[in-house]
Amino acid sequence: MELLKALLLPCLWSFIACVGFGLVFNIHGFGVLICGFGGALGWLAYLLGQRLVGGDVIPAFFAAVIIAIYSEMMARVRRCPVTGYLQVALLPLVPGAGIYNAMRYCVDGQTDLFLSTLLHTFGVAAALAIGAMLSSTVLRILLPRLMAGKAAGTER
Amino acid sequence: MEPNYDDLLNMGTELGYQLMYSGAEIYRVEESVNRLLTAYGLQPQVFAIPNCLIVSLNTPSGHPITSMRRIPSHGTDIELLEACNDLCRRLCREVPPLEQAKERVRRLGEGHRAHPTWVLLMGYVVAAAFFAAFFGGNLRDMLSAGLCGLGVGLWILYLSKPLRVVGFFQTLIAAAIASLLALLLTDLRLGVNLNYITIGTLMVLVPGMALTNAMREIVNGDIISGINRTAEAILTAAAISLGVILSLAMGT
Repeated sequence: MELLKALLLPCLWSFIACVGFGLVFNIHGFGVLICGFGGALGWLAYLLGQRLVGGDVIPAFFAAVIIAIYSEMMARVRRCPVTGYLQVALLPLVPGAGIYNAMRYCVDGQTDLFLSTLLHTFGVAAALAIGAMLSSTVLRILLPRLMAGKAAGTER
Repeated sequence: MEPNYDDLLNMGTELGYQLMYSGAEIYRVEESVNRLLTAYGLQPQVFAIPNCLIVSLNTPSGHPITSMRRIPSHGTDIELLEACNDLCRRLCREVPPLEQAKERVRRLGEGHRAHPTWVLLMGYVVAAAFFAAFFGGNLRDMLSAGLCGLGVGLWILYLSKPLRVVGFFQTLIAAAIASLLALLLTDLRLGVNLNYITIGTLMVLVPGMALTNAMREIVNGDIISGINRTAEAILTAAAISLGVILSLAMGT
């Protein structure tokens, strides 16, 4: 029960928050729910990753891989570009708080904390980017072969 | 019949412009314009960075023509992005006569669905409220964050455009509003955890996604765009923290 509360509740919140963001990005209809579900899935992967290995760079990488796979699938199913789903689903993970804190240290004059937070933030952002691009690239090579001729081309 | 190369170039540039404006990635813009013009039998050169798009091509007689469009600051509009992408794919497949294709590119913006402004406002409220819960706030924090999100949404959607405040100062004032409202609401004993409320509301503004996109551009090989976007993200973060510190100074 405790585990359920620690894992599922944050995922529910991230689902609803992503739905809100989907509206801001002008996503319509069913697409909004797909984004929300992607956000929840990604956060679940992140939390599980954190339990397994700790830290936050590796879990972020792990979650980005999962989200990219999910978004590529959804983009294939709905036949539209993957960008929107990927970006909104990544939102709970993006190191917004990190970069904000870094700049606050900077304004405060705490240069050591500023530099370490900023570098850490870049690390998380890079982990997310590489994770998402890695699995997208692999899927883009694999999926057309699996689905034999269907999909491919400009679709992504 | 010899096609009109000027028109072709303009059509390609317009499609690229719309794609850029909807917040598409650089590689998507470059590749789409390239595919479209290649489908019409040309060998275009396309170069894009976040606020500039250059398309150049040689006519078969060897005459080079180039078009450059500056891209104003823009948000993300997935609906427009999907429409552009879809149109580009159709045009590449069908290769309709130039007049017809031009007409379809021109009509891109018209039949475009956009959420009414109050739905966008709701988006801000919902996102702020649930990000506050997401970071560990309780029900009262959620409520206050929702109100802060409402304030930020009102500023960004209704007030900043008529006042012509954009970019750095738009973000700065939005962050100041968020932080000031959060202070006020905790003072009124509605909110409990000032930190969760502030950071939940600021999630709507923070450039986490811009930074992640910048990293994607860099990994992709579009280094100039990546560095450009990284600088933009850091600048936005600076604006946010300045805004927050401004209102903290006012609040105490």
